[in-house]
Amino acid sequence: MQTLLIALLLPALSIPIVYGVGRKSAKIAALILALISLVSLSLILTLVPTVLSQDQYIESYHWIPTLGSSFTLFVDGISLSLAIVTLILVAAATVFSINYMEKKSSLPQYYALLSLLTIGLLGVFITSNLLLFYFFWELMLVPTYFIIGGWGYRESFATAFKFFIFTHAGAIFVLLGIGAVYMLTGTLDIFEAQTILATVDPGVLNWVLASFTIGFAVKMAIVPVHMWLPDAHSEAPAPMSALLSGVIIGAGGYAVLRISLGTVYSAMPPSAGNEFLYVLSIFGIISAFYGSFLALAETDIKRIIAYSSISHMGYTMFALSLFPFAQGITGGVLHLVNHAASKGLLFFTAGAVMHQTGVRNIKEMGGLASKMPLTAIASVVAAFSIGGIPPFACFISEFLIFVGAVTAAGSVSFYFLPTLLMLIATVFSLAYVLRYIWKVFLEAPTVKIEVKDPPRFMTISTILLAAFVVILGIYPRLFIDLIHAVITI
Amino acid sequence: MNILDVLLPTIVFTICSILTVPLLRLVRKRRLNPQHFMLAWIILSFSAAAVGVVRIAAEYFSQSQSFIQISSTETILAPISTGFLVDTVSVYMVIAYLIAGSVSCIYGILHISPKESLSERYYALLLIVTGTVIATTFSGDLLTLFVFWEATAAGSCFLVAYRKSRESLEAALKYLVMVIIASGFIIYGLSLVYGLTGSLNFSTVKEVLATAGNTQLLLVAFAFIVTGYAIETAIVPFHMWLPDAYTAAPASSSAFLSALVDQGSYYILLRVLLFILTPTAIVDWRFTMAIFSALTMTVGNLFALAQQNVKRMVSYVCIADIGYNLIAITSVTPIGLQGNLFFFFVAAMETSLAFMITGVFNKMGLNTLEDLSGMGRKMPLTSLAFVAAALSFSGVPLFAGFIAKYMVFTSVLQSSVAWLALIGVSNSVLQSAYFLRVIHYLYAKTPMEAMEMKEPRKLLVPIYCLVIIIVILGIFPALALDLISSATTLLPG
Repeated sequence: MQTLLIALLLPALSIPIVYGVGRKSAKIAALILALISLVSLSLILTLVPTVLSQDQYIESYHWIPTLGSSFTLFVDGISLSLAIVTLILVAAATVFSINYMEKKSSLPQYYALLSLLTIGLLGVFITSNLLLFYFFWELMLVPTYFIIGGWGYRESFATAFKFFIFTHAGAIFVLLGIGAVYMLTGTLDIFEAQTILATVDPGVLNWVLASFTIGFAVKMAIVPVHMWLPDAHSEAPAPMSALLSGVIIGAGGYAVLRISLGTVYSAMPPSAGNEFLYVLSIFGIISAFYGSFLALAETDIKRIIAYSSISHMGYTMFALSLFPFAQGITGGVLHLVNHAASKGLLFFTAGAVMHQTGVRNIKEMGGLASKMPLTAIASVVAAFSIGGIPPFACFISEFLIFVGAVTAAGSVSFYFLPTLLMLIATVFSLAYVLRYIWKVFLEAPTVKIEVKDPPRFMTISTILLAAFVVILGIYPRLFIDLIHAVITI
Repeated sequence: MNILDVLLPTIVFTICSILTVPLLRLVRKRRLNPQHFMLAWIILSFSAAAVGVVRIAAEYFSQSQSFIQISSTETILAPISTGFLVDTVSVYMVIAYLIAGSVSCIYGILHISPKESLSERYYALLLIVTGTVIATTFSGDLLTLFVFWEATAAGSCFLVAYRKSRESLEAALKYLVMVIIASGFIIYGLSLVYGLTGSLNFSTVKEVLATAGNTQLLLVAFAFIVTGYAIETAIVPFHMWLPDAYTAAPASSSAFLSALVDQGSYYILLRVLLFILTPTAIVDWRFTMAIFSALTMTVGNLFALAQQNVKRMVSYVCIADIGYNLIAITSVTPIGLQGNLFFFFVAAMETSLAFMITGVFNKMGLNTLEDLSGMGRKMPLTSLAFVAAALSFSGVPLFAGFIAKYMVFTSVLQSSVAWLALIGVSNSVLQSAYFLRVIHYLYAKTPMEAMEMKEPRKLLVPIYCLVIIIVILGIFPALALDLISSATTLLPG
């Protein structure tokens, strides 16, 4: 069965359909797109038993033999988990767009671009060929540029420009790394490459590793290459922010794990030293603190969430630096999943608030809990998850990360201080989340505004996503099983 | 295969070219639609030439040798004989010319109306230049190469000067002077080579160069030849003529020249550097070329960044492209050669696509970036095509430009000049920046005047043909790469 190929091509086939239907009715186009991503999702879900029993599932097609590339689609527990959450978010964001984008023009183009983006978002997680990976990697970039530019807020094209140049420059480093892997091994398959790279001089591999990781770190928005993120996230329309913050930067984290660590670093002999991991850990901590501090100081509702994303990518980076300690990595991947869902939800609710009140500054908000009860509940679910409050989703993953960190600190003394610092950082996360909830929903309002809960489709998608986040928190078994199966190999 | 077989495509183009003038006049007299006639005529001549090329290709691929030499005299390596060489590289290049050339010629007919009084000469020139470029590509000795290339260059000058405006005449004159200087260099080098080796045939010269003890003088000769062709290729610092010529020429000429003549000149450089002056045998020119490569792409991109006039910007992109090509030549690796050949084809289509779109904008009176403000809404199809060209130039996947750049940058990573990859990559980012700026003007700015724009539907047909080819090659590059996979056996070492 060509399950993965079909799941990947469905959004591609939907581009003309969505565009054509969108000219008549944008609402139906959006529903079609949501439906298609749900069909893709169910196709991918059928692979769960296979992956649980056989660890991975591969499809390979003829593509560019001259460049040692075949069209390889593959899933293991990690990619499957991320693909699932991606498609759920895409479906939710599409439904959310129906009401949110209603007043904007050129909606057929918007939904067509969203379909194109879906291919990139999904593809990047389900391929094991580096060249194909790069295709999807850049396919996340172009539609995002046009969506931010065309349907964003004030200076949206300037922001999109910044976003494009930053991430494209990062991607070029990735490309150099891919080229180097090809020249060193003659193959672009990450698993074959890993075996052959083991025979290559570690001195050369250090360069390859650095090139890849710098490229991925830009997408992940790790300090100091995070400059594009706050602008892009806050200027983009809310559904796009949800995808940006949920999936796109998460893809950076996934790529660090899969390619930097999984392919290149693990091919290096143990004698090569752990300095690389220490560097990751340090940058992770810096990002975690930087993001939290700025989120505490910010008053723009979307920028708070954007800075929180930087902080959370810091957590993920720290978790990945615990390689190869199983709990740490499991926690890191689970955090990518949980963060994607929770942050997507948080952006939805922020979008709903902005959509209903027309205000961005949290100082002008307040007391919305009684006026927008459903949004408030969803917002609390998302914010508590982001803040790491049990039993919400991100608590579980952060807990796993710290279990991994403590284990690591037990055997490698370096991790002692970073673990401590990371624990302190969580306090700040909690602080900005509580401030956010207080300012937006609870505090007595300074300005009187008449609002109610957002229109139908926005509410539906928010509630459904909130339900998913709650499930992730109280029943994390599915994803943990999926991820753990890979890590323990 | 005899000499007539190899020259068949060129002969077809020459005959068609000569017949164009009387036939088109006749058609005008009979009050038939000249545009329809010309379209049919161009398609006819290209298909006839394609038949000739297919015959050559079929014969070449059905035998086992890696190349076929054809000579006008009995003994193949006689001192002065007109020699031709058919190998994977030349067959591939000619196919690329036919595809890019047919599209840009069709654009030429739609852009320069056949109702104009002297247009028949213009079309005749397009056809004959295509023919000479093909003959250049099949050349097997340095003299044949020189003769056909000079014919090409002479024809190109007139394509630049067609409108006879002050700028275009000046640019054509500049071009002509540069070509004459270049041919002076080349002919001097050729005379030295002939005096020293007694032959101008590619393989003889290559052998002598590889075995002779004292090669000093030969190297001087080659320095002259390479310099001459470097001028015609517009390698920085010999590039001054190109932006002037391509900006002053009608857009259809620029599209045609960048698709055929530019790529033809790179091809010659590749042939001379990689197949005759093999670096491993005599002299390591790789470092020198690497410097020129870095210089060419950096200057090209920086000047492109500084331009306000879109057409001039695209002209500088042509120069930057030469720099990228030189990266691949410098690497002297199989993937470099393949990447180079793929890049030729892609660059031919990208640049001519960009010039064609600029031509559409120019027809509407839009020349500078400012003029393009807000055109994304007023001329959606044209702007969308420009976005495709821009993304392909920036090396974004789904477009063929990405695979070309990937191969070129990768090829150099394992050579002695790996730093070139880093310079190339930085240039690529710079390039995406200024192309993104154009997109920014197209979509982000508001139009200056509230005028209604009507897109010329006919001109969009060849434009979208190229867009489709670029996307198809971007997703299935194997279509072209499979054709040249055997080319690597020709490489030295």
